[in-house]
Amino acid sequence: MNALANPEVGKYLEEHFVCAFQKVGTFRIVGKNKQGGNVATHFCAPDGRVLHTIAGPVDAATMLREARWIVETATKAMKDCKGDGAEFKAILRKAHAEKLRTDYGLVVQPTLYDAPEAQDPKGALTYRDPTGRPLAPVLPPPPIDGPDVKFRFRQAEMAKAAGGVALMDRRGGRWVLNNQGRVHMLLAAHSMTKIEKVYASVFEGILGERVSTRPVEIVNPFPWHRAAK
Amino acid sequence: MKRLLTLLAAGLVTILWAGQATADSTGKKKPSILKPSQAETCGDHGTSVHFEPNPSAAARKAQKEEKLVLVLHISGLFENSDFT
Repeated sequence: MNALANPEVGKYLEEHFVCAFQKVGTFRIVGKNKQGGNVATHFCAPDGRVLHTIAGPVDAATMLREARWIVETATKAMKDCKGDGAEFKAILRKAHAEKLRTDYGLVVQPTLYDAPEAQDPKGALTYRDPTGRPLAPVLPPPPIDGPDVKFRFRQAEMAKAAGGVALMDRRGGRWVLNNQGRVHMLLAAHSMTKIEKVYASVFEGILGERVSTRPVEIVNPFPWHRAAK
Repeated sequence: MKRLLTLLAAGLVTILWAGQATADSTGKKKPSILKPSQAETCGDHGTSVHFEPNPSAAARKAQKEEKLVLVLHISGLFENSDFT
C-alpha cells in the first residue's frame, strides 16, 4: 500500500499497466489487533497469464524496479520471439531463471515444455479453501541444480539476510531463498500460466497465507468484557 | 428523595439522548469492517494508482490500450486502509 502511494510508482504503473485488486484471503481481528493478511502483486498479460509477481509488501523502490524489469523483459521478448507464443514463454521463463542465478546465486533449469495432462482437482496437490473446496493446483517449482559459481556470494548474503527459507537442491545441499527468490524459481517453470492457477502457489505456497473466500473473521478473546466505546 | 432520584434519572436519559443525536449529526459513519463498500470500488484508495472495479474490467481495458495488467491479491479489505 505504501509503495502504491508513491507518485513515481503511480506514474509508471499508470503508463504501462491497468490495475485492479482482488480479495483472495482473509485475516482475523482478535480484540483490536489484526492477525495475518498479506499482498501479492501479479503483473499479467491482458489474457490473464502471469508474467511476474511480487510476493509480500515492498517499498516503492522495489515495486518500481520489479515493474520496470518485467516491462523491459516483456518488451524485449516480444521483439525476439517474432510472434511465436511458445518462444515468448520460453524467453520469459529463461529470464526468471537468469534473475534467480544473478540475484540469488542459484541455478534452475527453466521449464520450456508444459505437460499436457490436467491436474486432478480432487487430488492432494490442490489448494483448498477452509470448507475443502478445491481452488487452485499446487504448482511444483523446478528443482535446484545448485549454486552458480560466479554468483555464489549472493547465496552467502541471502543466508545472512532475514526472511529466508531453506531449500534443498538435487544433491541434498541446503540453500536459502527469500520470498522474491522463490517467486523467480516458481516462475522459471510456470510464468505465462493463467493467474487462477498461479495465485494459490504464491499466496499460500510462498507467503503462507491461506487462500479463502471467507470474509474477515472477528474474534473477541474476552467476550465477557464489553467493547469499549 | 424519590422525586430527586426520578429527576436525576430523567436528566441523565436526556443527556445521553442528546449526546447520541450530536454524534449522528456530525455525519461520521463508523466504518463497517464486515461489509466492504459495494457502491464504489473504482478509485485510488489512498494510493497514486487508479483501480478498475475488477480484474476482468482491467483486462478488457488493457487489451484496448495495449497495456499490461497489474492485479493485487490481498487478504483483507483494500478499501479500508486500517485492514490492508
